[in-house]
Amino acid sequence: MIETGSGKLSRVSLRYSSTLIFLAVPAIFSLLSPRFLAVNNLVNILIQSASTAIVATGMTFVLLTAGIDLSVGSVMFVSAVLAGKLALNGQPLWLATAAILLVGMLYGAFNAICVARLRIIPFIATLATLYFGRGLGLWLTETRAMNLPESILRIGSASIAGIPFPVWTLAFVVGVAHLILTRTSFGRQIYAMGNDADAARKAGVRTDRIKFAVYVISGFCAALGGLVSIAQLGAVSPTFGNQREFAAISAAVLGGVSLFGGRGAVLPGVLLGALLIQTIENGLVIANADPYIYPLVMSLIIFLAVMLDSLRNRMLRRSQPRIIRPFHE
Amino acid sequence: MKRWVAAVLLSLGLLSGCNQNSGPKRITIGVSFETLQTEYWVAGFEAIKAELKKRDIAVLEAIADGDANRQLEQVNNFIARGVDGIIAVPKDAKTIIPMIKAANAADIPIVLYNRPAGKTDAKSVAVVADNPGITKATVQYMCEQAKKSGKKHKALLLMGDLGDINAVGRRDGFESAVKEYSDIIEVVARVPTEWNQEKALAGVTNALQAHPDINFIFTSSDFLFPSIVAALKNADRYKRIGEEGHVLLGGFDGDPTAYQMLKDGYLDADGVQNVYFESEAAVQAVLDLKAGKSVPEVIRDPGFVIHQGNLNEMSPQMWGAQVKNAQAGK
Repeated sequence: MIETGSGKLSRVSLRYSSTLIFLAVPAIFSLLSPRFLAVNNLVNILIQSASTAIVATGMTFVLLTAGIDLSVGSVMFVSAVLAGKLALNGQPLWLATAAILLVGMLYGAFNAICVARLRIIPFIATLATLYFGRGLGLWLTETRAMNLPESILRIGSASIAGIPFPVWTLAFVVGVAHLILTRTSFGRQIYAMGNDADAARKAGVRTDRIKFAVYVISGFCAALGGLVSIAQLGAVSPTFGNQREFAAISAAVLGGVSLFGGRGAVLPGVLLGALLIQTIENGLVIANADPYIYPLVMSLIIFLAVMLDSLRNRMLRRSQPRIIRPFHE
Repeated sequence: MKRWVAAVLLSLGLLSGCNQNSGPKRITIGVSFETLQTEYWVAGFEAIKAELKKRDIAVLEAIADGDANRQLEQVNNFIARGVDGIIAVPKDAKTIIPMIKAANAADIPIVLYNRPAGKTDAKSVAVVADNPGITKATVQYMCEQAKKSGKKHKALLLMGDLGDINAVGRRDGFESAVKEYSDIIEVVARVPTEWNQEKALAGVTNALQAHPDINFIFTSSDFLFPSIVAALKNADRYKRIGEEGHVLLGGFDGDPTAYQMLKDGYLDADGVQNVYFESEAAVQAVLDLKAGKSVPEVIRDPGFVIHQGNLNEMSPQMWGAQVKNAQAGK
């Protein structure tokens, strides 16, 4: 195929559209306020994105199999409530922390049984567990806010080698997820299943096992994201984690993960998606923007990113054979 | 679940009670709440039930869990059961109108608690807090404190959901108060939180980053205080009143966290919705309507401002203080 110079340029810019948007947004905010690019502020953005990025990483595993997990916000809530109850009853912090992660995995396993064994459509199964979790959490707390012991806040503000705890956790989760997806046969099977579940099954991939694993991973990441959040907040309110599923799905889609499965990557995609959402919110506060324009700016940028992504897909589909590996390889 | 079981048991109890009593029929009132998702709604729900119990009135309970259709079914069930009156917290101003019309058609009085209905010719009474008024009085108190210090103040406003009429009313109250003190108060950030603690934490942190000298923060709901406290602690700015570097703090609701912060000397002022006034007024309005008396369409809860100067005197009327004391007594 003969390609002109400008055609090549538009193809390259479409391929890296989310990276370009990610660079353009901070550039605009730094023009609006010089404080935006201060090192402290950039660290802030990283800390504030950590929870959403971790939840979105777990969500990515599910989305790659063409599934969806709407229950992540409820997982955050229920696990935080149980851990909060343990901490307030004087149990050691390590036990409360372990309880959060265990509850997240059990919740994920329950979703997995609904989807992989009972064959309920993921959207419906996790919609049901979303309501179940919220109801359970409210029942357990009797709709009272829980102010957690000071020791939990100390974890949130702790630093190791000058790097804050939320950033370490984020780096660990994103790094491990990236390695799993790109360097293991399990990762390759996830992509294969997302591209064509029937073909993957015929090729010997045990799709039920893969489904089970991705929902457990999503539950674990949701609970860990919740832990990172409560370590910064020091409280669990009755609305904790509410609608977090939308932020996680937005971050993943902004990062180039396809809702139809089989395409997308945690690094840099999902991480950039989560950072972009937080960067917009941070920049708008720093620029003292009118509160009414927040949702307008946010939706415009999400729309732009998704539209470019769809254009990119069409263009790449036309020019390349189907692939089952992430683009950056 | 617990409440459903309790409601069923209570209804069964009422039925058996009715069988045994040959005296005058006991009044029954149906109470439908849109949600019990915040402490404020739970406190209101409990206060209404206590008020009804005090007057020996039977109660049918229903929670719509944020679903207007479910609320319509619940109100229709109340009507079918032949209740003597209905108290409802509407999901929103519009969806409540068919329910009011149904109650009107059955000649059953209906009172809306804390949220008014939209424009309609259907007849109902609404008991609502004066959101702009209470907020304005609270922020005026804070501005007076700022004035006494003789220093200029940089202010941050945490707003609620922009689609919530109560959140908008509180925003308006804040703006109208600071306008009167524009010589000493400069509002440097207005953060929309969508009633979300994590967004509030990020918002306060970001605003403190852009303006490290912010020393005046008002939140449109007390439940966002943990976010403010966490952000101030991270910036080493969480100081008691009178300490060097204290940030003037104010809020709205009167919840248990705000009460504790007032007691500990961190919170300057809090606008309180008087749950006890509102629940008593709602019950009285239903009974008056049933007795054929005339009742104004809107009963306004004037609320009050609680601050360090009147804490002991006003705390018995602050619902958060009662919840806190009940928790401590458990």
